[in-house]
Amino acid sequence: MKILKFLKGNKLLSVVILIYIVLFVVMPNKGQEAVKNSMYYVIEMLEIMPVVFILTSLLEAWVPRKVIYNSFGEDSGIKGSVLSFVIGSFSAGPIYAAFPVCKMLLKKGASIYNIIIILSAWAVIKVPMLINEVKFLGGEFMGIRWILTVTSIMLMAYIVNKIVKKNNIPIEVKDKFEEGSLKVNQNYCIGCGLCSKLIPEYFAVENKKAKCIKREVTEADKEKLEQIISKCPASAIKLDN
Amino acid sequence: MDIFTVALWIITAICFVVFLKKDKLKTLNSMKMARGLMKGMIGEIFAILLLIGLILTFVPPDTIKVLLGKSNVYISTAISALIGSITLIPAFVAFPLVGSLVDAGASLVPSAAFLTTLTMVGIVTFPLEKEEFGLKFTVTRNLLSFVFAIIIALVMGVII
Ligand code: SF4
Repeated sequence: MKILKFLKGNKLLSVVILIYIVLFVVMPNKGQEAVKNSMYYVIEMLEIMPVVFILTSLLEAWVPRKVIYNSFGEDSGIKGSVLSFVIGSFSAGPIYAAFPVCKMLLKKGASIYNIIIILSAWAVIKVPMLINEVKFLGGEFMGIRWILTVTSIMLMAYIVNKIVKKNNIPIEVKDKFEEGSLKVNQNYCIGCGLCSKLIPEYFAVENKKAKCIKREVTEADKEKLEQIISKCPASAIKLDN
Repeated sequence: MDIFTVALWIITAICFVVFLKKDKLKTLNSMKMARGLMKGMIGEIFAILLLIGLILTFVPPDTIKVLLGKSNVYISTAISALIGSITLIPAFVAFPLVGSLVDAGASLVPSAAFLTTLTMVGIVTFPLEKEEFGLKFTVTRNLLSFVFAIIIALVMGVII
């Protein structure tokens, strides 16, 4: 059972391991060579991986997101654009984790210009990723790509802002959350496991997505849950009263 | 470890201690998140790293040079950008993968195109994005991202 679960959760890894097993049976020499070739990158990765993840999480926890989100309005001007770059650069998770945040900011009156900046910055110029880029491709590569990317993002935001109007964007989306008063939107959950670790009575992570295991929220837990909801990096949890 | 990595560890350690002093619970909770994120990705990370070994063993550097080298940059860049748009690997592991190809002789131009479209263009997440932001927004954003990814890559080729 355990093995099956592992295979299902790690399809790519399972395939690669299978190739290696076959290789070691058929051409042990080549197999050894492949392991040797991988080793350099494995070691480099192990050196940098923990720092990148720790840094990502520290930034996620300490950048005052709520304050930044609240300062978005109709006319946030230059400050709004800078903040948009900041939000994107210090985020965790892939681009889709930014969708709920952007949607919420749109409702608050953020411009399409800034939404494009957040989405794009979230995708390509996250600080922890830049670190990884320096490590494997060098500082010059990273620096130049960063400058070009930031410029492109601003141009892109300008163009999209001209083409797409606010009324092209649907206001309410039908609920894709699970049923119940406490729910997780699995489309956006990045499986970081924060919720299940902070309050395991309510959440469990299965196949890299969180789900609710208890739906009746007691008054006593409410406050704690609300805190966790605000911490979820993908804003994927919702609690209805 | 190279200086860069060492420096990073030191900076991170300092940040950690400072934040720990400021708010112990918050900082320790963020470490739980770090662990969770890492656990979620470790399988894919190892898969890609082992894949690198296979590629380097079975694809001779000459082939990499021909396919991704300087000779037909435009075609390889367009193809790399397309592959990046549909691939679903975390950006995190894309760097060692691309780094290994560059070490083996691949040109920087297709590499940059791949890295940019990998994260910015989302064919797989297209339905999700469309639902939240509408068709017009999603098509415009993804198309422009694709075009700019190629522009960025070509300009990089000129500069570096
Ligand atoms: S729902 Fe839980 S596991 Fe998913 S992103 Fe939010 S905090 Fe992380």
